[in-house]
Amino acid sequence: MSGVLTESAEQTRSESQSTDNPFRNQPLSLDYAIETPETVVLHYQLAGPAVRMRAFLIDLLIRSAVTLILGLLMMVLGVFIPDVAAGLFLIWMFVNGWGYYAIFEGLWRGTTPGKRVMGLRVIHENGHPINLWMAINRNFIRAVDSTPLYLPGLIAMFCSRRFQRLGDLTAGTIVITERRVQLPREPIILEKIDPIPLAQLNKYKPDEQTLAVIGDFLSRRVAVDYKRGHELSRPLAHELARKFQFRGDPELVRKFPMAFIARVYVTFLRPENYQEHPEHEPPTEHDSESEYEPVPEENILDDDFDESEAYHE
Amino acid sequence: MNKKTFMTMRKPAWDEFSELLAKRSKTRRHPLSGPEVQQFSTLYRELCNDLSMVRSRKLGEDLEAYLNALVSEGHNSFYESPAVKLSEFWNFVFVDYPRTFRRHWRYFLMAVLLFFGPFFCSWVTIQINPSLAERVLSADQLEQASVMYSAESIEERRSADIVAYGQERTGMFGFYIFNNVGIALRTFAGGVLFGIVTVYTLLSNGIVLGTISGFLLSEGHGDRFLSFIISHGSFELTAIAIAGGAGLMLGHAMIHPGQQTRLQSLKTRGVDALKIALGAAVMLVVAAFLEAFWSPANIPNQFKYIMGSSLWLIVVFYLMFSGRR
Repeated sequence: MSGVLTESAEQTRSESQSTDNPFRNQPLSLDYAIETPETVVLHYQLAGPAVRMRAFLIDLLIRSAVTLILGLLMMVLGVFIPDVAAGLFLIWMFVNGWGYYAIFEGLWRGTTPGKRVMGLRVIHENGHPINLWMAINRNFIRAVDSTPLYLPGLIAMFCSRRFQRLGDLTAGTIVITERRVQLPREPIILEKIDPIPLAQLNKYKPDEQTLAVIGDFLSRRVAVDYKRGHELSRPLAHELARKFQFRGDPELVRKFPMAFIARVYVTFLRPENYQEHPEHEPPTEHDSESEYEPVPEENILDDDFDESEAYHE
Repeated sequence: MNKKTFMTMRKPAWDEFSELLAKRSKTRRHPLSGPEVQQFSTLYRELCNDLSMVRSRKLGEDLEAYLNALVSEGHNSFYESPAVKLSEFWNFVFVDYPRTFRRHWRYFLMAVLLFFGPFFCSWVTIQINPSLAERVLSADQLEQASVMYSAESIEERRSADIVAYGQERTGMFGFYIFNNVGIALRTFAGGVLFGIVTVYTLLSNGIVLGTISGFLLSEGHGDRFLSFIISHGSFELTAIAIAGGAGLMLGHAMIHPGQQTRLQSLKTRGVDALKIALGAAVMLVVAAFLEAFWSPANIPNQFKYIMGSSLWLIVVFYLMFSGRR
C-alpha cells in the first residue's frame, strides 16, 4: 500500500520538474500523447464533457434504479423492523454517494457501467491504469466538483487542456475514449480489380507513402459517394498518370480516377506484379503534361457512375 | 517492403500479442506463466518498433491506430500497479497510517485549534450564560436536545422492548455513518477550494457542538450527556479534526504551492492528505458503531467514563506512538 503511494508521489514530483503544465496555452485538441519508456509515443483520445455527462447520466440511472429497488425492499422490510430497514437504507445511501465510483473505477480498471457503455476509461496521466487510491482520490473530490450542478467540475474541465475536473487534477488522471482494436483489412473490392498491364507504364514506382494514402482512402471509400470519391482522387490520379506516362486508356484517368488509383495500388502492392518490369524509355517531362490536363468539374459531376462500372474498367 | 508485405509479415506477431492480452485480462488472478511473460515482453517491444516504423514511414492511419491501440493496451498491462493486498492492510493501519499522520501533525494541530477552540469557547460561554444559546440554535432545536437527554426520555427508551430498541439503534448506526462520514469527507474535499470550506465546517461544527454541550450542562443533563458522548467522542471528534487537517493540507497546497505549480503541489501533497482523510473516515465508522450500540447502553455511568477515558487514551497513543521505530 505504502509502496504504491510513495511511487505515485514520486511520479508527480518528477513530473513537476518537467515543463508539463495542463493549463499551458495550446490549441484545443482531443489528442493526448504520452511517451513510454520504450520511447514510442502513444496517442489517446480524450473524452470531452458531453460524452462524460452521458456516462454520468447512465450511472445515475443505474444508481437510482438500485436505490428505488432497495427502497421498496426496505419499505416491505420496514413493516416488520422499521428502524433496521432505515439504517440499512442509509448505509446504502452512503455507499451510493461516496463509494459507487471509487469502487467501480478502482476495481474495474477505471470504468463504471456508464463509462463502459460510452466507451470511456479513466487512466493515469502517464498512461498507466489507475489503482484504487487514485480512484478514491478523484471520486472524493467529486463532492467539490458536483456542488452545485457539477459547475466547478465543468469550469475546471474547460480551463484545463485535458478536460480534467478537480478530482482528475488532484489524482492526476484523465478520461479517454477507447478506440476499437481491429486490424485494418484491405478493401474487399481490391480482389476484383486487375492490375494495370506493365506495358502501359514506365519505370516509375510510387513510394510506399503514396500507396498507403491510396490504401487509407480506399478503405474509407464508403464515407463518400462515387462522384465525390472520383473528384477527390482526381488530382492524385492525374499526377500519377503523368509520372507513369500512362499509355492505357486516357478515359480511365479522366472519368474514373478512383478506379485508376485503385488499379495503381493493386499493381504495386503485389510484388509479383511489377518485379518483372520490362524495359521502357526514360520518362520525358513535358509531353505527358499536356495529355492529362485537369478535367473541368462539370464533366465529372455530370457522369453517372455505379460501382461495377467504376471498378471493372 | 510495402504496407502489404509488412502487414503479412508482422500479422502473426500482432495476433499472438492480442491473444496474450486477452488471456491476461481474462485471468487476472492467474498471471501468465514465465515463458508467456517473456514472450509478452518480447512481442511488446517488437510492437513498439512496428508502431514507430509505421509512423515514420507513414504507412497509413488505420494501421497506425490499430498498432497504437494494441501497444497502449500492452503498456497498460505491462506497467499496471500491483493490486492492493490484504496482508498490507495491517501494516497500513498500525505503521503506515500513524506515521503519515505524524508527518503532517501541524495541519492536525491547526484543525484542532479551529475545531476545539470555538467548541470550548462556546461551551464555557453558554454554560455561564445559557440565554446566548438561542443566538446559535433555534429554540426548537435546543428544546429537542434537552428532551433527548432528560432523565425521563432515556428511561423511556431503555424500558422499551429490547428488540425494538436494538432496531432503533441499528437505524441510528446507518444514520451516523451517512451523516458523520459524509460531513468529514466534505470537510476534507472542500479543502481544494483554498481551505475555505474546511475552515468554515470546522468552526461552525465546533460552535454548534459547544453550544449544545454548554446548554445541556446548564439544563442539568450533564451526567447523562457526558457519559453518552465520552466513548464515541474519542473517535468522532478526533476524526473530524483529522479530516479537517487533511482538508487544510489541500488548502495549504493551493495557497502556498512553493516551487511547484498549484496543481502539482496539490497532486503531491494530496496523496498523503487523502490517506489521512480515509483514516478519519474509518475512525468515524468505529465511532458510529460505538455511538449506536455502546454509548446509549444501560450501563452504570462510571463504567462508561472508564471505557470512554481508555478509548481516548487508545486514540491518542495510537496516533502518537503506533509505528514508531
